Amino acid sequence: MSMNVLGIIFSYADRENLRELTKIRTLSSVPFGGKYRIIDFILSNFVNSGIQEVSIITRNNYHSLIDHLGAGKEWDLTRKIGGLRILSPFSNPGGTDNGTYLGTIDALSKNMHSIKRSLAEYVIITGSSFICSIDYDEIIRSHIERHADITAVYARPRQDFELPDAIPLLRMDDQERVNELCYFNDDCDPDTTTFSLGMFVLRKSLLESLVADSVAYGRYDFYRDIIQRLSHQLNIRGYEYRKNYFEISSVSGYMKENMRLLSENVRRQTFEMPVYTKIKDSVPAQYGAGSKVSNSIISDGCRIEGTVINSILSRGVVVGKGAVVKNSIIMQNTEIMRNVSLNYVILDKDVIVRESRQLVGHETYPVVIEKKSII
Amino acid sequence: MSNAKKKEMIAMLLAGGQGSRLGILTNHVAKPAVPFGGKYRIIDFPISNCVNSGIDTIGVLTQYRPLELNAYIGNGQPWDLDRLFGGITILPPYMKAEAGEWYKGTANAIYQNIEYIEMSRPTYVLILSGDHIYKMNYKMMLDYHVQKGADCTIAVINVPYEEASRFGVMNTDENLKIHEFEEKPANPKSTLASMGVYIFNWEKLKAYLKADEADKNSENDFGKNIIPKMLEAQEKMYAYEYKGYWKDVGTVESLWEANMDLLNPDVPIELNDPPWKIYSRNGILPPQYIGENAKLKNSSISEGCNIDGEIENSIIFPGVNVQRGASVKNSILMPGVTIGADTVVEYTIIAADTVIGSNVRLGAGKETLQDGKHPEISVIGQNIIIADDTVIPAGAMVGESISKKERE
Repeated sequence: MSMNVLGIIFSYADRENLRELTKIRTLSSVPFGGKYRIIDFILSNFVNSGIQEVSIITRNNYHSLIDHLGAGKEWDLTRKIGGLRILSPFSNPGGTDNGTYLGTIDALSKNMHSIKRSLAEYVIITGSSFICSIDYDEIIRSHIERHADITAVYARPRQDFELPDAIPLLRMDDQERVNELCYFNDDCDPDTTTFSLGMFVLRKSLLESLVADSVAYGRYDFYRDIIQRLSHQLNIRGYEYRKNYFEISSVSGYMKENMRLLSENVRRQTFEMPVYTKIKDSVPAQYGAGSKVSNSIISDGCRIEGTVINSILSRGVVVGKGAVVKNSIIMQNTEIMRNVSLNYVILDKDVIVRESRQLVGHETYPVVIEKKSII
Repeated sequence: MSNAKKKEMIAMLLAGGQGSRLGILTNHVAKPAVPFGGKYRIIDFPISNCVNSGIDTIGVLTQYRPLELNAYIGNGQPWDLDRLFGGITILPPYMKAEAGEWYKGTANAIYQNIEYIEMSRPTYVLILSGDHIYKMNYKMMLDYHVQKGADCTIAVINVPYEEASRFGVMNTDENLKIHEFEEKPANPKSTLASMGVYIFNWEKLKAYLKADEADKNSENDFGKNIIPKMLEAQEKMYAYEYKGYWKDVGTVESLWEANMDLLNPDVPIELNDPPWKIYSRNGILPPQYIGENAKLKNSSISEGCNIDGEIENSIIFPGVNVQRGASVKNSILMPGVTIGADTVVEYTIIAADTVIGSNVRLGAGKETLQDGKHPEISVIGQNIIIADDTVIPAGAMVGESISKKERE
């Protein structure tokens, strides 16, 4: 069945404020969970569900994404049939636009030449704001069983989860039929908390005609102009995702969601199925004689001489003697020299923190240091 | 294969040996497939050396227990050897029209694959073995070979005089031209030991292989037959002195030592070397998690591990679990091993996927023996279960599960 599915990923999100983290990269290439990027989890879901054809729609700053994905070998998506396609911005021939998209429907429309070429019967569309561990096979099955036109995957807020502003909420009847869409903090029914995970399943032929129709009327927003506007004409069904999810749209949320991986239960759910990522052939992590590490995730290639507590280290991070790293996220190849002290800090890639520097943020407002900075 | 590209030099890697001195570690796999250094296998070293030296055509000669090795090498992609021309090829013995036979010796193994070598029409052939840990640029050795105008160049390493009698020793003149080769001499005349790395002019080697095959009394071995025959015929043979780290890991003792060398900053082998990476087939595992009760000291730990105990001077392979209160010192835990709570592991090598219960004692205690020597290394075999509260003394080799009942 899955041979019949095309995955479409939006690598960017409008509803996102990750400050320095997305200044130089698109949302889906933001590092997460040590050695991964957000895109790794999304692609792995497709691959683990047997889907071998995936297109990624990009808008801007997607250089790092292309760098990371290459030809898709590590995700087993270097295929003769299907495989990985990165769809870079495309302006319509003769058009006056310069490749920017007016909305999600516009983005789909401008990439329709590629989507149409696929022989898949179904498409699964997903954004990059949520990291889930989802079995698409099951969703397609439910989509077919319920004769749905569109299946919208949704979740309920977990205990410690605050709904982010403007997240799309789906109101459904007891058959999970979606009859209204609204945005959190807007004029919404306060009892509705079932929020969209940004994932939709529909027939590719339906997507093609819906996109063509909408564009003809100058309608460009998938949520408002398809889900909302057509909720009474189409059989749009909700599908509840009940396992763990991570939501990434703000810096404090990014920090908090990363830290949840320090819980064994969350780790187990996240890595139950393999999560593929780029292989760097780094050496195993080396711990020196004076190292002290507690409750932390450490990736290959790290060299640790100092103290690391409640933190997440990506590949190739160096922590010098006497340095103390607490409650922090350290990205690839960053070097923390002797006697540095960090608390609630996010250091992007290739940062150098010189000897004895101290950086202190707060849980609600972590200090973010841009890629390649020298402190 | 007229469309194959001509290659200047290709490598032939002898990987068929059992490595019986590694005991139960090679019960299920050939020696080159034995895990080494936290995430590698021994064969990753010669293969990565080839790739880093610009050699993209490698034949791997297998014979003993090849399944795991074959699966590991696969299409060669982890080493960038999934190539349009060349790449890595597994070469098991095969049937021929008149007869088929096992590889009788190292020289015979190459002889039986003359056709494979001819496909690349190489000028030079590099012969390697799969049982040494070292980082070496074979391109520099080839440049030397060409510059000397040699027919055969043998890589050598200067060893202490008292150890020389364990090796094949090259006796050379001041220009390193070899005039005599002695296999494990009682009174060595030189300290230049052969590393088992040879470069031959292919046409020359082919002629000697054919002559050797016709000789019914030959053992079909490079060291015993081909090299002495070539010396006898006064072929131009040179020693190429290699000055880096090189270690034969043919015994439990040397395998343990070579692993420990990686943790010793005074030993000149650094694997964290971006221009000369050692490539390996990586599992798909999450990063390691270090728990609240962990104490880590001078150790190497790989992906997918879950460590909540104490680790000191040890090499921990991917996917290892060390539970709270356990202590692992001067030991090597291969992929997927589990160490139960409060278990003490010292001077032990534990093979892949073995589960050690809680409160077990493995290997000898901390007290170092006299004359600074470490206690004997214990070895626990692959995929077995050692029940709670078991005590296994230093130097033991355990190949079967130990249940509570049996112990009592």
